[in-house]
Amino acid sequence: MAQTESLSHELFLSSSPHIASKVPATALMRNVLIALAPVTIFGVISFGLPALLNILVSIVSAVAAESLFRYITKQDIRAKDQSAIVSGLLLALVLPPTTPLWMTALGAIFAVVVAKEFFGGLGANVFNPALIGRAFLLMSFPAAVTTWARPLGFGTALSDAVSGATPLGILKLGDSAAAGIQAVGADFAANKLASSADYWATMRTLFIGNHGGCTGETSILLILAGAVFLLVKKTIDWRAPVTMIGSAFILSLVLGMDPLFSVLSGGLIFGAVFMATDYVSAPLTAKGKLIFGCGAGIIAVLIRKFGNYPEGVSYAILIMNAAAPFLNRLLPKKYGTVPKTKGAAK
Amino acid sequence: MAVSTFKRGLRLPTRKDATEGKPVELAPLPKQVVIPINQHFGAPNKCLVNVGDHVKRGQKIADAAAPGPMTVPVHASINGVVKKIEPRTQSNNTEGICVLIEAEGADSGGEEFLPPLDPFSCTKEEALARIREAGIIGMGGAGFPCHIKLNPPPNKPIDTIIADGAECEPYLTTDEAVLTEKPNLLILGLTIVMKITGVKKAIIGMEDNKAKLIPMIEREIRLNEQAASVGEISIGLCRTRYPQGGEKLLITALTGREVPSGGLPMDAGCIVQNVGTLVAIAEAFSLGKPLVDRDLTVSGGACKTPKNIRAPIGTLLPDLPPVFMEIAYDKLSKILYGGPMMGNAVPNLNIPIQKNTSGIILMTAAETVAELEGPCIRCGRCIRNCPIRLSPVIMNMALEAGDLDEAVTAGLMDCIECGSCTFMCPARIKLVQRFRVGKGRLRIRQQARQAAQATAKPAPAKT
Repeated sequence: MAQTESLSHELFLSSSPHIASKVPATALMRNVLIALAPVTIFGVISFGLPALLNILVSIVSAVAAESLFRYITKQDIRAKDQSAIVSGLLLALVLPPTTPLWMTALGAIFAVVVAKEFFGGLGANVFNPALIGRAFLLMSFPAAVTTWARPLGFGTALSDAVSGATPLGILKLGDSAAAGIQAVGADFAANKLASSADYWATMRTLFIGNHGGCTGETSILLILAGAVFLLVKKTIDWRAPVTMIGSAFILSLVLGMDPLFSVLSGGLIFGAVFMATDYVSAPLTAKGKLIFGCGAGIIAVLIRKFGNYPEGVSYAILIMNAAAPFLNRLLPKKYGTVPKTKGAAK
Repeated sequence: MAVSTFKRGLRLPTRKDATEGKPVELAPLPKQVVIPINQHFGAPNKCLVNVGDHVKRGQKIADAAAPGPMTVPVHASINGVVKKIEPRTQSNNTEGICVLIEAEGADSGGEEFLPPLDPFSCTKEEALARIREAGIIGMGGAGFPCHIKLNPPPNKPIDTIIADGAECEPYLTTDEAVLTEKPNLLILGLTIVMKITGVKKAIIGMEDNKAKLIPMIEREIRLNEQAASVGEISIGLCRTRYPQGGEKLLITALTGREVPSGGLPMDAGCIVQNVGTLVAIAEAFSLGKPLVDRDLTVSGGACKTPKNIRAPIGTLLPDLPPVFMEIAYDKLSKILYGGPMMGNAVPNLNIPIQKNTSGIILMTAAETVAELEGPCIRCGRCIRNCPIRLSPVIMNMALEAGDLDEAVTAGLMDCIECGSCTFMCPARIKLVQRFRVGKGRLRIRQQARQAAQATAKPAPAKT
């Protein structure tokens, strides 16, 4: 027998393949955090200290709640997978900056413990934890969670006019007061949204993000910058966000709402980029993602148009989360699949 | 030249630099060889020699235990004395009967090869018998008997022969060495295959990282006297992408056809042969040489002398002299037989080189993955990268839930085990391993069902 030098260490034995890509799960989480950084910073600059405190409290509560829960239930503590940080940050970004801190903490704990850990932890939850946290707070404390502060310091016409409401909220009021939705610019003027009543100036403000709203949802520009980063890094797939925004745009048009306003206001684009692309709660297959996005866009517009809430994106995505296991059955056509007529000969 | 490809798949780090362009070096005669008597996919062989027998290089030492087509003989690869016949670990980590032959000096008595045979005047049956007698199996890895592949049933018309020189696995460079050093034998092998099968069209498929070899191979095609008479041989350039060398995807890249689910290349009108196999076929006719040597790449971070070598089948790496093959045992972390995507990890180096060993990769800890599995975050990367459009994550969830039917729907039995999903998985979940286990469970279930049907009382006749 050949003499092998005795090894001082053991050899690895495992099944193929024996090499792997350089992208571990934590890198994907980190990419999401990097993509969220611009809106987070913008939120803090716009809304000041309350926003910053909300973000910090939310993240700390989420991580602490996850770790404590896993400690109590004798599971490995895995705060370093960063998923709780992402959930905590996302929750803070979809809440108004003025939310009382104890409510934010409660929402974060509810999100991580009830919506994630009760289902089995990372990868096992059916619903998006951050959105569950938001929905929980919206149900429990509707007044506090729908009161928005105007942005600090940036003295534009729009933000001066808005006092404790968002463009969508005002539109909702205008909607019920007026016989129907007119041109949005006119609506804005009627509701003193934009003193100059310039449609494109309003849209520009909505796009750049200098108006009342949730901490992270106001600047469409920075959200899209994050989306581009995630798409370039291949962290997210384009299908769900594009179909979600597209279907919301088209349905708004059909229902006689201003489609551009519909898309730019509220949390639609934030939800499309950061919530509808959530790995765990969204469908896995390409076809599933297309339908998921489409459904979420339609439900969001229907809630906005006919529901009680000014904003329907969170519920739209949560409802579609429930459909994800079904949408996962829309499998891609396998290689070598023979059309039925030919296959019958076998 | 147009570059063809298939959709999806991976761009892998090639890690071929260590041996790329290096000539194939003839390994020094080992003092012993360990030859497994079963090296093919099919029915088992019976050992034809006994302990103490003197054998010559090229002598048959094992052949079919029972008559049947799916079997290929095995030959002694050196002159020597049979010292032991015993079960040993083979490169697929199973135990199998091996014949240990101790060498009797370098030149003791020559070789026992078959007489040369003219493939262009003999009958098809003679040619197929020669390929079987020479012990030729597919050298790409699976070990499918070559003569079976070349004799498809008449209801499966073949119109294209594909020479597989894609070599998409990282590290491995012997197919490239064949294309560089032995294009004449490759073309000869290809013309023999075209003659046997009567197919008029052949394509040499290779990845575009070997594009510089095209003019030389084209010249060899023109120089071959028989090539024009048997048909047309062309070169098909494919984008460098894993798993281009998988026969199904090579067929798709070069012809646009898809092999039907559950089918073989012949169901798409193609026969695919590795370029090394074609060289072996050429040598079986021109020299009468059975498959007793193997070209392979020995590489990896723990190999101090990475090179392409030609060694007798049954050689153990540690038997090669240190000047020829030096191994950094202190850095050695994983031993692979085959490439890193589809090869096997083995427990030690005392495992013989087989007919289908395309390379031995001695990996350091830094080169391989040793991360623990995390929870699936359902990112869908496995679905996005599956070259045959399966849904690995869904297959895995179904298997975890014990739902074999759901796993089959998502593609379990279509999986080619290329490892693309596992390579891309950020949670480092060993998907391919799960699918192998799943396929095994499915086979057991099918066998149980068949057994139950066989023992059940015959159903009452329908009225």
